[in-house]
Amino acid sequence: MSSYPTTMPPTRPEIAGGESQDSPGWSRLATSPDHKVISLILISAAFGSAFLAAFELVIVRLQLAVPENVFLNAVTFDRLLSVYGTTAIFLFALPLCIGLLYYVTPLQIGSRGTALPRLGQTGLWMFIIGGFLLYATFLFTPPEAGINPFPPLSQEVFTPNNGVDAWIAATGMITLGLLLLSIDLLVTVRNLRAPGMAWRRAPIFVWSAAIVAWQMVVIVPIFLAALTMLMIDRQLGGSFFTGGAGGAPLLWQHLSFIFFTGAYMGVAVTMLGAISEVVQTFTRRPLPGRETVIGSLAAIATIGTLAWTQNMITAPLGSGWKYYAMVMSISLIVPFGLIFYNLISAVSSSDFQMRAPLRFAMGALSLASIGLAVEVSQSTIAVGSQLQQTYDAWAATHFTLIGFALFGGFAAISYWYPKMTGRMLDEQRAKISFWVMFAGSLIALVPLFGAGVEDQVTDSYRFFADEDVAGFNLVATLGTVVLFIGILLAIGNLIRSREAGAAATPDPWRGESLEWLALSPPEQHNFDVLPDVRSAQPMRDIRESLVRREAGQETPAGESQPVA
Amino acid sequence: MLSRSRKLLTLLPATATALFAVAAFASPASAFSLNPDAASPGIEKVNTFHWITFILIVIAIVAVNLAILRATKRHHRHADAGNSGKGGQLRVGLGLGVVAVALFVTATVFSSQAREVPVGSSQVAGLNDDGRLEIQATGQQWLWRYDYPNATFTYHRLVVPVDTTVALDLVSADVIHGWNVPSLTGKAQAVPGKTNRVYFRADEEGVYSGRASLLSGQGYDSMEAQVDVVSVSEYEAFLEQLKTDIQTAQDSVVKTQEAELEAAAEETPQGEVEPTP
Repeated sequence: MSSYPTTMPPTRPEIAGGESQDSPGWSRLATSPDHKVISLILISAAFGSAFLAAFELVIVRLQLAVPENVFLNAVTFDRLLSVYGTTAIFLFALPLCIGLLYYVTPLQIGSRGTALPRLGQTGLWMFIIGGFLLYATFLFTPPEAGINPFPPLSQEVFTPNNGVDAWIAATGMITLGLLLLSIDLLVTVRNLRAPGMAWRRAPIFVWSAAIVAWQMVVIVPIFLAALTMLMIDRQLGGSFFTGGAGGAPLLWQHLSFIFFTGAYMGVAVTMLGAISEVVQTFTRRPLPGRETVIGSLAAIATIGTLAWTQNMITAPLGSGWKYYAMVMSISLIVPFGLIFYNLISAVSSSDFQMRAPLRFAMGALSLASIGLAVEVSQSTIAVGSQLQQTYDAWAATHFTLIGFALFGGFAAISYWYPKMTGRMLDEQRAKISFWVMFAGSLIALVPLFGAGVEDQVTDSYRFFADEDVAGFNLVATLGTVVLFIGILLAIGNLIRSREAGAAATPDPWRGESLEWLALSPPEQHNFDVLPDVRSAQPMRDIRESLVRREAGQETPAGESQPVA
Repeated sequence: MLSRSRKLLTLLPATATALFAVAAFASPASAFSLNPDAASPGIEKVNTFHWITFILIVIAIVAVNLAILRATKRHHRHADAGNSGKGGQLRVGLGLGVVAVALFVTATVFSSQAREVPVGSSQVAGLNDDGRLEIQATGQQWLWRYDYPNATFTYHRLVVPVDTTVALDLVSADVIHGWNVPSLTGKAQAVPGKTNRVYFRADEEGVYSGRASLLSGQGYDSMEAQVDVVSVSEYEAFLEQLKTDIQTAQDSVVKTQEAELEAAAEETPQGEVEPTP
């Protein structure tokens, strides 16, 4: 044993000590500072929210199935739409990303836990409270000022009920919680990497974690500042966003769009990182353009967030702002294109295994390519002033977010499912749910491009027969129902496989990063012994070393060591 | 049971079918024309650029999805080692960079051309020094009010002369409203406390309309902007009539108020009547 250079980091009582085994299961879940428990709660909440968001979207689309429908009235529609959008972004996409990063990253860097576990736990509970707060509004008045509630509409004069106040409190709690988790993540990836794991050897998903965590540290405080100002306006007679009276309604648009655009890019960076891991594993070789992919992820996060004024092309801004947004958005073609090129050519030139993770990953790239291409065209002043605020923009955003958050999310979850649960995901059911979801997404969103070109505006609770968009809307509604069924099948498969799936070995896919060294599911302290990392593929080194050891050969110096 | 490759091949037909379904549902005239009613010089430029980006988008999406399809087919496995090294990355990056620069230059040219609306030929009374007709559009929940140069105003319906460049100042009396008449100006926000100026020059008489494009409260669905483009003489006659009508209405209001005041004065003793503002 002494011949293996291994490292034992100093124990931290809250991780190593563990909780009392006498306490009931729920209390151990609720009080555990273990990053795996925290992440699993976050990820489960995210998939529960995916169900809720899809259900709300179906109701919204049912109202828009036929012209001048009277299924919902204007207020109910506005409330459902606001809660749908908030759920999709704040309760599904962002916590899914942070949850995946928070589960996988400490394992990938060979750490026994996170650096600031109690901070992460606080973040989780702030997130949960925020989520309950949002849904508690169904008992009184849900928010009704839109997915992004622009003042002055969201001010007390025009929306006097407490829905917007609840929205401010809920999104504030959620984003603050995710910020705390991001800070923990950032400190962890900077300080707790296994010996030898220099940044150049860190997996792409760890780079995603560092980039997204930094991004959250930058954008969340900006959003919290905007929320605080809106709360002061509503409750304390402030006038930050009042029209006239020294207020600046456009300030809200700047601050909130920095957050929303940044969050959108954060989802893309997380999921492209996960897809890269999936592609590397199932093509059985590291990405040849690893450095390009990592650099492109950083570029997407930076340039993408700086392109926030692309959402404000119709606002009374100086034209300099609009040309600036155009430069930023159009230059995103380069990093996105390079990543797509690297991932697709890696699959193309390899003898890959088509399993659920790779299938979802390719579906994600396919759908996101549609959304991103349309987004670029809409970031130009000429096209944007025609198509923004129509269903064309809605469809583009949904293609990108469904591609990355939903398909990318299922790619990631089916990839790490054996690690998280110790069971294999049912391959056949995953395949069926993939095709139902994929067909549903296309049928639900492609017709909306037509409706957008016919200038059907978003957020309106009804449209009229003379707008010539009835056919598009009916098909889109049918597609949304198909998508909803697909999401139900996929989530059902996640639940069912926890009991019925075949038992998973620690390394079912023959992955190259350190999470596959831990047991499935990992023990509370993740690793008994940590290896010395000598390359970007530590697991390959360990496997080769084990083969040599069985053959009775000496392990050459300078390679990662097997652990007993 | 289909083979995997055939299943994957359904990806492309699915996209194509959906696109054709879209085309079939729209009327044949509008399905292949992105903004058929473009009626202002700027919007015609926008239309041309829209076509360019539309073709680029279709090429990009088809190329990416074909590459995905080809990559996920089991056959024709080939090692493109030459392309995945540093040189390949650089080539692809440079290629994308060229596309981005070309797109940005084109977008800038068209965007700046779309902003230029040359002065029209008509000689309507009330043009400003630049030869433009300045009209203020005020958004309020949930209608538009238009103030004309001769101190008259209309609600719901903006009447402008043909061949005249209109400088429309968008303001708001309450929340942010989305001005939206796609055939003339595209979309622009009317923000309280700010003025958002848009230009247009209608080259043909007719009625142009669009729905407000930003959620503004419960009556948002019914908020519509309508622009009636009429001949110069009709426009001048309309404004004259409008002025007379407004004057008549104001006179009758004043008369009614005076009558009420007199009636009140007869009932109460002199000196105790509050002066009505």
